[in-house]
Amino acid sequence: MNDFKYIGKSIGRIDGKEKITGAAKYVDDIDFGAGLLYAAIVESPHAHANIKKISTKKAEKIEGVIKVVTGAQFPFRFGLYMHDRYIFAQEKVRFVGEQVAAVIARDPKTALNAAKMVEVEYEVLDPILTVYDALGNMKDDSNKKFGHNPKKMIHPKLSEYTHVPWFFPQDNSNIAHFRKIRKGDLDGGFAQADHIFEDEYTVPRYAHCAIETHASVGLCDHSGRLTMWTASQSPHTQRHLFAEALAPLGFSHKDIRVITPYVGGGFGGKAGVSMEILAAALATTVRGHAVKVLWNRSQEFYNTYQRQGVHAKLKIGVKNDGTITALEQLLYWDAGAYVEYGANVVNAAGLSATGPYRIDNVKIDSVCVYTNLPPGGPYRGFGYSEFLFGLESHINEIAKKLKIDAVEFRLKNAIRGGDKLAYGAAMNPNGLEDCIKKVAKEIDWGKKRPIDPSLPHLAYGKGFSLFWKAPAMPPNASSSCFLKFNEDGSLNILLSGMEIGQGYFTVMAQIAAEVLSVPPHKIRCETPDTDRNPYEWQTVASHITWSCGNAVKKAAEDAREQIFDLVERALEMKREDLYLDSEAVKSKSDISFCLNFKDFIINGISKKDGSFRGGPILGRGMFMPEFTSALSDPETGQGGKPNVHYTVGAAAVDLQVDKETGKIKIHKIAFAVDAGVALNPDLVKGQITGGLLQGLATVLYEDMRFDDKGKLLNANFTDYKIPTTLDIPEEIVSIIVETPQMDGPYGARGVGEHTMIPAAPMVGNAVEDAIGIRIKSMPITAEKIALAMLKEK
Amino acid sequence: MTILSEFEYTRPKSLKEALKILAKEKGAIPLSGGTDIVPLLKDGRIVCTTIVDLKNIKRMDEIGLSRDKKYIVIGSLVTFSELIKSKLIQKHFPVLMEMAKTVASVAVRNRATLAGNICSAVPSMDSGSLLMALEANIHVESLKGKRVVSINKWFKAPRKTVLKRGEIVTSISLPLINKNKYAGAYLKLGRYQGEDLAQVSLTILSLPEKSYRIAFGAVSPIPIRASIIEKKFQGKDITEELLQEAKVCLEKIISPISDVRASEEYRMHMAKVMMERGLEVVKKRYHGEGPEYGVTHL
Amino acid sequence: MKNKISFILNGEKRQLEVGPQDTLLEVLRTKLGITSPKVGCDRGDCGACTILLNGDTVKSCLILANEIDGQEVTTLEGLMEHGILPIQEKMVEKNSFQCGYCTPGFLVSTHALLKKTPCPTKEEIKEGLAGNLCRCTGYTPIIDAIIDFTKKNS
Repeated sequence: MNDFKYIGKSIGRIDGKEKITGAAKYVDDIDFGAGLLYAAIVESPHAHANIKKISTKKAEKIEGVIKVVTGAQFPFRFGLYMHDRYIFAQEKVRFVGEQVAAVIARDPKTALNAAKMVEVEYEVLDPILTVYDALGNMKDDSNKKFGHNPKKMIHPKLSEYTHVPWFFPQDNSNIAHFRKIRKGDLDGGFAQADHIFEDEYTVPRYAHCAIETHASVGLCDHSGRLTMWTASQSPHTQRHLFAEALAPLGFSHKDIRVITPYVGGGFGGKAGVSMEILAAALATTVRGHAVKVLWNRSQEFYNTYQRQGVHAKLKIGVKNDGTITALEQLLYWDAGAYVEYGANVVNAAGLSATGPYRIDNVKIDSVCVYTNLPPGGPYRGFGYSEFLFGLESHINEIAKKLKIDAVEFRLKNAIRGGDKLAYGAAMNPNGLEDCIKKVAKEIDWGKKRPIDPSLPHLAYGKGFSLFWKAPAMPPNASSSCFLKFNEDGSLNILLSGMEIGQGYFTVMAQIAAEVLSVPPHKIRCETPDTDRNPYEWQTVASHITWSCGNAVKKAAEDAREQIFDLVERALEMKREDLYLDSEAVKSKSDISFCLNFKDFIINGISKKDGSFRGGPILGRGMFMPEFTSALSDPETGQGGKPNVHYTVGAAAVDLQVDKETGKIKIHKIAFAVDAGVALNPDLVKGQITGGLLQGLATVLYEDMRFDDKGKLLNANFTDYKIPTTLDIPEEIVSIIVETPQMDGPYGARGVGEHTMIPAAPMVGNAVEDAIGIRIKSMPITAEKIALAMLKEK
Repeated sequence: MTILSEFEYTRPKSLKEALKILAKEKGAIPLSGGTDIVPLLKDGRIVCTTIVDLKNIKRMDEIGLSRDKKYIVIGSLVTFSELIKSKLIQKHFPVLMEMAKTVASVAVRNRATLAGNICSAVPSMDSGSLLMALEANIHVESLKGKRVVSINKWFKAPRKTVLKRGEIVTSISLPLINKNKYAGAYLKLGRYQGEDLAQVSLTILSLPEKSYRIAFGAVSPIPIRASIIEKKFQGKDITEELLQEAKVCLEKIISPISDVRASEEYRMHMAKVMMERGLEVVKKRYHGEGPEYGVTHL
Repeated sequence: MKNKISFILNGEKRQLEVGPQDTLLEVLRTKLGITSPKVGCDRGDCGACTILLNGDTVKSCLILANEIDGQEVTTLEGLMEHGILPIQEKMVEKNSFQCGYCTPGFLVSTHALLKKTPCPTKEEIKEGLAGNLCRCTGYTPIIDAIIDFTKKNS
């Protein structure tokens, strides 16, 4: 084990004082001066309709209205992985709340009042609100007619849409992407089985509920420069999509600048581009004026990405000894009106829907289906939370039916380093078994709480779940970093990952600190500005510690090598003896030598003749995982290496159920994750505590409710409530397992999303353990439990 | 969210001045805590010409004994936080404190008033069942004079009460009970233990001679007193059989609806469970054994 | 019609013209440059806009600006008149925040809680903060910081 000074230590957060004092600025906190204009959006009241006519005259006449903008000015399709979206609806609206037009005015009130005066005439169409309605033909799997529904296409021009090469939209259907995995011999696998178990599970839609809503301000000056301030996880990706979507207006990337201050929570909801495109487009219509688009809480619910709903059909073959011989899993995703990002969730889930199990014979169909509900997209967990609810529930049921202990069953089938993944590549070395054993021990697995005779309405149960997740990224997703020293030896690091709360800045500072011997509190990481900070793909996929961490490490090493070069050149020191310690250059061969950074790092090293050598030290680093490829056989999914690595772990819960009220009280959760190397253990624990509650919320309380016309019924925090301080588990024990990720910075890999993934199945399993009832649809609310108990009576 | 409707704001210094404005202007509405009115204004769900802020009116923020010492009088500007803190309330109506503690959260309770709660009269309101069980009287004043309305006659429909235009609730009075020889319990069902709206609420009082008062909230358009069940229980020991009978009876008394927060079926089921548990609590409390007031029972 | 209101903001006497529709939160953020109270839901559900009115916590999105005439308003900015508070130092130490957006609201609620109850129980802490929503931390690090802080106080 290396003896590190900063790595592996729970260093205090470097953004702490800014955030704790309220000094940290978010987009809506920035003062844009008296000239700022405000936009209000005209939204579709229908889930599915043709736009017959838009009349803006009345709105335009209102004093204070600067401009009314409709889709006619922006007939451009765009999207991250698939170009299926428009800036404003064109010809057709596809979900309730979709933007049809916008009013730009001097103040928000005028804009909102005028937006009501924009008259839109619709021809209302039948909304398609379920995947089964959208899929139409479910039978003709063999002759590729599965999903044919030519008369009810939400995107009639689907076949014309451009998309990444690893998506497979189906003609004459509402299927935007069909990820197939075929590994081994499925029929043979089922033939080997002593038992075959089938079941179906349903997961509804969820909202991210970052406390900061989406906010975006655009300024297009008269020179044609577009500056955007956005609350975003993806400044460079946004710049790219703005440039692409607005290219017909003559924008190049260099003309577009995206500035992202601190972001008030992301959870995937602020990845890619959603409403920000509106501010960008609107800014081009009122040159010289900044225009603000600020989502209110309702809009945050119905017009940003939502976590997609899924219906899972599972079939698993097992031998009497518990060996899994075959898995078939069909996942039908309700991806909503536009799938440009959501389709990649479907793809990621399809690649990994075996869960962290070693299964030789596999069939997975992960089908991305358009519906007339709001667009689905990335949400912490990226599809894994959704399919693991079914899979880990089903695994538990199978173990029970085979009378094998649920932990033993999982240990027997758990994937190991080197095992062949569903798409043919090898699994990375990992500590899954260690995680399982540690969690089982911590939760006192196998021992049940005794029933208290004075409280006969209470039942107790324990539930277990494994989890895994790989970053879902294009094979060429990259990170980069500039690092610049200041006169006093302090550092500013320029990067474009987002500090969305996870502690990324602190960990990046720790990496640079370790290489350069500068304490983290002397390092500032700068929030992204695409003009100044170098490229980052996105802050998503739990890849930023790993990917950007590598870039920062390289930048720090680059700076270190420059320092060594300089000292060698200016002072004729032996380079191989030089090392950095306590903000100074030292030498192994001359212990009296100590050159403090502050004495040369900007102004160079003076020579006897009064001249100087050197100059400002600037480091540069870049990382791209050159070993991945998303190309594979569309019919089998075999051939590529779409995922860089998986982070794995296990979790268990000890809870009580009130059999009459259905209310659940969580006594304890044990959670173990293999973080590779935890660069900052307290921050890993922070992810566990926070992610778990977000996961528990999805299983115990939340879900999005739509009426039969596709309108969201609970678009506020009163009805779509999130847990409060009074709704937290009594105890959470965080366990960090470390199997170093060889290509990660100091061995690290990501853990951010993983912490919410096992919450739902472990609760479902514990409830079943407590009351003997298997609930197969999320959420598992008090109401569902109580009514299920009533039915049993 | 921006308030789009146009209106004026005024803060009269006396009740008379406030009543004059309300009498003169049809579209004027009184404001106390604002925790309900301000979101409604933002949503455009109420429109008014003038907001008449009552908070400068003296003595309406007091809690005291009536002159005849038979009532506790709660001024209409008294907030839920003040009710929780009040020694007088703790002494005579600890169950009112128990209810007040379930209202939203501290920062809302610091602003929201009991009078405002019954004027908003949303079905999920927290105080309705409690005031029914305590047989509260609502004191109303207009330029034409004063009147007292029994809480039984106060509510007409969701968000509708007998309060007329031009009238202001000045106070709520609670008749003292039997030298405080009673026990009470307030039970609220929410999805969350933290701030949430009630799916079902229930107040039970246990009085001497095996007499009970039982009232429900959020399971009918307006809060409702379960008088039929009270009669069934009157003077009897509540056996398992009697309890089952009461549960069946309850199905005819309450009429819960399904909405995004709970289904009709669950609300009905929980009303029964809560009645049973509430009876347990008041039984214990009556004998000085129950949990201290102010705890949650679910 | 606009009204001129006088009030104390963070210890300083201020006068301002406000419209009947202006909320306190809007006025603080857009007219007075006070940005620590945040807009999270704008209907009293999330607590990100929590401030002190005459020393008690309120949600500033639920208050009309006119209502503060003659009153005393204190925001997080005002609480730090003499520098960072010891409870803030403790919260930095305990990672009691992640994205930081809800943090000013939590601090104002915590300040009011500790003023009223200098050594609160865990339940009292939870109860005192139940009107502030946080989606990042899972609340435990916030509660732990307060427990740790008050332990040293008692």
